[in-house]
Amino acid sequence: MRRLRNRAGWVLALLLAAAGAAQAAVSVQIVSPVAGQPVFGKTEVQVAVSSTESVTSVEVFVNGKLVGTATQAPWVVTFEAGDQNIKREIKAVVHGASGATASNAVLIQPVQIDDQLDLRLQQLFVTVTRGQARTLDLGEGDFKIYDNGKRQDIITFGRGELPLTAVLLLDTSESMQGERIKYARRGATNFLDGLKNVDEASVVMFSDRLLRATPFVADKKVLAKALEETEATGGTAVNDFLYMSLKLLEPRVGRRVVILLSDGADVHSVVPMSEVLWKARTGQAMIYWIQLDENKHKSYVSSWRSVEENDEEYKTLNKAVEESGGRIEKIANAAELEGAFQAILQELREQYVLGYYPSDIKKDGRWHEVKVDVQRGGVRARTRDGYLDF
Amino acid sequence: MISMIWNTHARAAIACALLCALPGAAAAQDTDPFGGAITATDVSDQVKRPAGRRAQEDEIESRYRKILAAWAGGQTERAAIDLMALETSVVSDEDPGTRKRLLNAEQAVIHEVGASNLETLVPIAMLHHEVYRRYLAQGARGHAVVLGHARGMTRDLAILYREQSGSEGAALVSSRILTSLGGMLQQAAQQLPAADMFQLAAEMDPRNTAALLGLATVFEKNARYEPAVETLRSLLAADPNHAEGKLRLAVNLHRLEKTPEALTLLQGLAADQKVDDWVAALAAQELADIQREKGKLDAARAVLEAALQRFPNDPRFYVQLASVLDRSGQTRTAQDIMEKLPLIEPRTPETAARFLYNTVRPETFQEARRFLDENAQSRLPVLAQALDAPNKASVAVGVAG
Repeated sequence: MRRLRNRAGWVLALLLAAAGAAQAAVSVQIVSPVAGQPVFGKTEVQVAVSSTESVTSVEVFVNGKLVGTATQAPWVVTFEAGDQNIKREIKAVVHGASGATASNAVLIQPVQIDDQLDLRLQQLFVTVTRGQARTLDLGEGDFKIYDNGKRQDIITFGRGELPLTAVLLLDTSESMQGERIKYARRGATNFLDGLKNVDEASVVMFSDRLLRATPFVADKKVLAKALEETEATGGTAVNDFLYMSLKLLEPRVGRRVVILLSDGADVHSVVPMSEVLWKARTGQAMIYWIQLDENKHKSYVSSWRSVEENDEEYKTLNKAVEESGGRIEKIANAAELEGAFQAILQELREQYVLGYYPSDIKKDGRWHEVKVDVQRGGVRARTRDGYLDF
Repeated sequence: MISMIWNTHARAAIACALLCALPGAAAAQDTDPFGGAITATDVSDQVKRPAGRRAQEDEIESRYRKILAAWAGGQTERAAIDLMALETSVVSDEDPGTRKRLLNAEQAVIHEVGASNLETLVPIAMLHHEVYRRYLAQGARGHAVVLGHARGMTRDLAILYREQSGSEGAALVSSRILTSLGGMLQQAAQQLPAADMFQLAAEMDPRNTAALLGLATVFEKNARYEPAVETLRSLLAADPNHAEGKLRLAVNLHRLEKTPEALTLLQGLAADQKVDDWVAALAAQELADIQREKGKLDAARAVLEAALQRFPNDPRFYVQLASVLDRSGQTRTAQDIMEKLPLIEPRTPETAARFLYNTVRPETFQEARRFLDENAQSRLPVLAQALDAPNKASVAVGVAG
C-alpha cells in the first residue's frame, strides 16, 4: 500500500513537471563566462535567450547579488569582478512579458595556484617621522600591527641599516636627453655609491624598449658602467618595465625597492597600470618614484591612450606607489635629481622592519588592509597599505 | 587672364566641418594668422598700392620670377635657398602684415604664368612644398609667419589647380600635394592642420589611402573613435588588403566595444605571415590583451606563446605573457619568462611595433611624394616656357621623402 502511494506521488510529480515545462515560454543560457573560467576585473556576462514571447529583462546575479540588468538584446551585463580569487556563482534570470521566468547559472572556480609562495611572514618596512625628521629611537613595544583590523603579534623587529635589493628603473626616453640624463646618471651613481656591501642592485634603463638591464649585483662598477653606456632615445613604457622590475624582485628576500625615475607619461606599454597595481599588491616591494614634470600627463595624448586614459594610468601609478609604502619625490628641474636620489637613500637607511604571521591567511586573493600604530605622541608611521592574500 | 577664384569661404567651411569637431579646434581656427589665399581679385589691389610699396612688390616679383626660372631650369637647390632668403627678408614675425606684401608679389607672377598654362601651378606648388619642408626642418623659431605662408601657398596652389582644371588627373595630383603636406604637418605634431589637408585630399580622391590613413590617425589621437572607424572603413574599401588599416580598425572597434569584429580582424592579422612584422606583432598583443580583459587567460597565453615563436626578440611578449601567467597563478613559469627579458638584445626604434603605431611613418606618404615628383618634373618645361626661360631640367625635383 505504501509502495503504491509512493509510486502515485512520483507520477503526479512528473505530470506536474511536464505541465510546467509545456507552459514555460522563456529559457536562458549563460554563454560567457563558461563554467570553470576564472574571472577578474571588468567581466562581461553574455546570455542567450530563447522565448516565444517578448522578453522584458535579463538580470545577472553574482553570489546572489544583483550586478546588472539588460533590457534588450544583445543580452549582456558587465560587472566588476575585482581581484579576488574566489568561487562565484553567476546566475542569469530572464523575465518574459507574461511574467514567466527562467534561470541558468554557472560556477566559477578560483584559480588553482600551482606555485606555493610562502607569504606567511609579512614584512612591513616602516618610515617613522616626528615633524619633518625621521626617528629611529623606537623599540618593538612602541608598534602595534593590525591586519584587517585584527591586532597581530610582532615576530621580527629591526631598524636602521637593513639590507636591501633595489632596482634603479630609469626612464631614458628622448625627453631625458641633455641635462636630464646627465643629472640622472650622477644621482643614480651617488645612490649606488651609498649602498652597503650587503646590498644588491640592478640598473634598468628603458624607453619604449629595454635599453639596458644588469643582473642583481653588489659590484658598483658593473652598475655604474651600465649607467654610462646608455643614450636617451625613443618613447616611454613605464608600465611594462615597472611590472618587469616588480616581477624580478619577487623571488628575492628581505627589503625590496624599485626607484623609478620618470615623468610617468606612459605611451607605449602593453600592460595596463591596473596590472602593475595588482602586481605591487601581491608582492612586498616598495616603489619610490622620482617624478619629473608633474603635469605632463595632463596634456599628453597618443594613438594608444586619450588624455583621460593617460590621467587614469597616472593616478593608478600614484596609487601603486603610495600603497606599496614608498613615496613620490617631486622635482621641479633636473638639477634636483641628485638630491632626490640622496633623500630616498637616506630614508631607506632609516626604516624599521616589522615581521608578523597574519592570523587570517586564506590564499583567496582577498585584500588585507594593514595598519601600523605607534604608541608615542607626535610621530607618524608610513608603510604599505596592505597586500593581496595569495 | 584666366579667372582664378578660389572660394575661400567654401574652403573654410570644409575645414571647419572637420576641425570644429576636434578638441581645441575653435582656438586653432581663431588664431590662424595665415588666412590669406590666392585670388584673382587680389591682383586689382596693385593699382591702389602706394608707389613705394608697389616698387617693393615689383622687386619681389622680379626676384620670385628668377627663382621660378631657376626651379624650372633644374636648379632645385638654388631655387629653394633663394626663395627662403627672399621670403625671410620680406616677412617679419613682428609684423604679420608683411606677409600680404609677399603674397601680392608672388601671386602676381603666379597669375601670369598660370594664365598661360594651368599646368605650371604644379611645379610652383612643389617649390613651395619643398621650401615648407626646409622651414620645418630648420624649426619655426623666428620664422612662424613664413612657415605658415609656405604651407598656405602649397595648399592654395593645389586647391586652385584642382578647381581650375576640373580634371580627374588634376584631382589626383592636388590630392597628393595635400597628402604630402598633411604628412609633414603630422610629423611636426600639428594634428589639426594635418587633418584639414587629409580631409581635402580625401575629398579630391576618395581612393587616396595615405590621406585616409593620415586622417584616421588624427581622429584616433584625438579620441574620436567613431570617425576614425568610418575613415578606416573607407580606406579598406579602397584597399581591402591594407594591413595597417585593418589593425587600426580593430583597435578602434574594440574601443567602441565592437569586440567580435575586432577579434576577427586581429586573428586574421596575427596569423598572416605576409603582413609586416610590426603589424602582426601588434595584432597579437592586442588580441591577447582583449582575451585577458575577457578573463580568457588560456586563450591569451596561446596567442602570446605563438607570437613568441615568430618574434623571439620582442620584449613586449615576455612582459605580457608573464603578466597573463601571473594572473593564472603560474607565478614560477612567469618568473622564468621574465628573467629571459634582460638577456634580449635592445631593439631599434624602427622595429619597435608600439612605437611605430604612435609615429607618423614617412613611408606612408612616400608614394604621394613620388607621384608629385614625377608630375612636377614633367611640367617643368611648361613652367620654363611660361616664364620665357630656357628649360634645362634634367634632375628630379628635390623633394625629399
